[in-house]
Amino acid sequence: MLPALPALRGLLPRGGLARGSVVAVAEFGLLCLALAAAASADGAWCGIAGIPEAGVLAAAALGLDAGRTLLVPEPGPSWPQVVASLLDGCELVLLRPPARTPTSAQVRQRLEATLRRGRGVLLVAGDWPGAQLRLRVASQRWTGLGDGHGRLRACCAQVVADGRGEAAMTRTCWLWLPGEDGGVAVADPADLPFDVLQDPPGAAPALHMVSG
Amino acid sequence: MSARGAAVNTGTPPRVMVVTCPDLRGTDLSAGPDPQTAQRHERVIAAVTGFCPDVEVVEPGVCAFGARGPARYFGGEAALAARITAALADLGVESQVGVADGLFAALLAARDGRTVPPGGTARFLAAQPTGVLAGRDPAGQDLAALLVRLGLRTLADFAALPVRDVASRFGDAGEGAHRLARGLDSRPLATRPPPADLSVAHRFDPPEPRAEPVVFAAKALAGRLHDGLAARGLTCVRVQVKATWADGQESSRRWRHDGLLSATAVADRVRWQLDGWQPAAPGEENTPGGIIALRLVPDLLVRATGQQLALWGETLVSDQVARAAMRVQAMLGHEAVLRPVLGGGRNASDQVTPIPFGEKTEPRLPAGRPWPGRVRGAAPGLVFPAAREAEVTDDAGRAVTVSGRCAVSAAPARLAVRGDPPRRITGWAGPWPLSERWWDPSAARRCARFQLATEDGRAWLAVLQDGRWLVEAGYWLSGLGQSAGLLAGAAAPDVLGDGGRAGGTSGRPPPPRTPAGRVGALGRTALPLLVQLPGRRGHPRRAGRRGGPARDRGARPHRP
Repeated sequence: MLPALPALRGLLPRGGLARGSVVAVAEFGLLCLALAAAASADGAWCGIAGIPEAGVLAAAALGLDAGRTLLVPEPGPSWPQVVASLLDGCELVLLRPPARTPTSAQVRQRLEATLRRGRGVLLVAGDWPGAQLRLRVASQRWTGLGDGHGRLRACCAQVVADGRGEAAMTRTCWLWLPGEDGGVAVADPADLPFDVLQDPPGAAPALHMVSG
Repeated sequence: MSARGAAVNTGTPPRVMVVTCPDLRGTDLSAGPDPQTAQRHERVIAAVTGFCPDVEVVEPGVCAFGARGPARYFGGEAALAARITAALADLGVESQVGVADGLFAALLAARDGRTVPPGGTARFLAAQPTGVLAGRDPAGQDLAALLVRLGLRTLADFAALPVRDVASRFGDAGEGAHRLARGLDSRPLATRPPPADLSVAHRFDPPEPRAEPVVFAAKALAGRLHDGLAARGLTCVRVQVKATWADGQESSRRWRHDGLLSATAVADRVRWQLDGWQPAAPGEENTPGGIIALRLVPDLLVRATGQQLALWGETLVSDQVARAAMRVQAMLGHEAVLRPVLGGGRNASDQVTPIPFGEKTEPRLPAGRPWPGRVRGAAPGLVFPAAREAEVTDDAGRAVTVSGRCAVSAAPARLAVRGDPPRRITGWAGPWPLSERWWDPSAARRCARFQLATEDGRAWLAVLQDGRWLVEAGYWLSGLGQSAGLLAGAAAPDVLGDGGRAGGTSGRPPPPRTPAGRVGALGRTALPLLVQLPGRRGHPRRAGRRGGPARDRGARPHRP
């Protein structure tokens, strides 16, 4: 089990990232970096493949140790081999598979087998059928910006996690990521900077329509 | 007899003959040799092996062997050198032969194609400039440059220093260089024979006809070899690679390296060897049968003295990580694996310096300075390596501009990042002017920066420079459950330098609507956002009224 930031533990089935598992996040963003931050701060090496725009500075603010990070911005067509090699050295690999060609089931299975042999965690920014845990952001809102004044201060987001096995139960959590102090904290739904029931900008309206 | 005995007693290295082929030198092993060069190389080695069976390849285009026996057989060193040169000339390869005591001196002698008489090596070396100590590795180059700066211009100057002082000042590498300068071998050999069979082998069943899988197996084998040696506190400076073919042929080559041969380096040499060997097999185009076994035999064992780390401020890179990184570097090139170093700077992209793995990690701009004019607050989670082109328009659809006095023409209302559908702006701040490096015309930059929040919950760092809007960074946690294809597809070709980016992404169909059942009960939330929102008429001003200013302490609108 790789550690996770305290505020994110509520989203993860056993409060951390299970070794040998695949965790998929719908799209690359700060959430992926936050998931990697605690493990890196704890001494794990972190490889980031296929994400040239990864904001290392923001990740470092969340706890990622830049000195223990390897970036492979352009793994090219042989990205499965690159990821397999990275998994040999790094306990956590953050990957965005190329969007233009869907990842074949064979490649996925081969990487999952590599993952199970080692002790790493594969964090995928994108689609990965068969991921043990899937995370996505249902709504997000930045505070601090006005009409021509202010600056971005904090972001309040609702993160939804579901998956297979012990993660099958859907978990939902409001987070400040980052909060006003730059850290990550669980947000109190009663104290959000906008009204949940009236459509917050950036929210999908399905909040009202969830049914069994 | 007595002379030879004396030579052995004083530790003088044996006579070594070096053959260099300038045409074949300098080929980059890691880039993968072109098959033609590999074949020529293989033919050269085969020709030299005809004179002396025990040839070791120092680097591509350079091989060495003990000269005493063959020279006596062929009637002297000069006669042997002439015969080898003639044999290689028949192959159409120009070559130079050097003879001296010890490999290092012989390599230098081969540059001029001269023969240093026995016992004359010390004098020959003494006249050489210190720069010859700079090998291919950066540590050697650093050392050589440092010695020149210290005023030690020739190897004689360097060799005159006491060993003890050199060792305490320059460490292990310096001691090795000092031994070379004195005409000795860089490391004393461990004369003990290996106590156990330390070689490793891999069998291919069925025989492997292609080189690639063999090279891949060689990487793993080299890893095992190193593990086995490390467990005994040893390392080797020479590796023998033996490949056995299904028809019984055996290809065996010795590779030497003055540093440690890493797993990747061994794999590179195996590839070189196989590429050269494959077509040389007689018969049809396809080599009969393929390879059935690959064996790595460590040769010339030395004590592992380890690697010296900097005194402070350096993260320890474990062997495992280094091996993984180097394996990726061997696949994609040296610049492909980067380590980020945090530094200072005014732009998000300046504050992180990516440095190729294995190089000295130092930020381009120093941290700890004030850097006035940088954007404060939360750092963006996405920093686009090449700023994405965009259009920012006001309510009436006109492009938003900023005057020389930093007055905005109108409130920005719509952001259209190239490759993405337009987004409505719900909050904005700026312009924050930045005038950088005005004294340097090539690096000067004048721009106005904005932070924009859009209706889908994302926020952007947009820059107006030379009348063009660019998006430099993005602030978001993730997409809102919609297909990741849209943005990932637009951003990825951007950095790959794909010329067809604009056409490819704008002509792309909208992201597929996720079937409701796929993500379970919440699947409906995954409907593309832009399809839903226009009907809901979100208020752009609500962002300011409810969220923004209420939590906005201390920030003032910018008044130029």
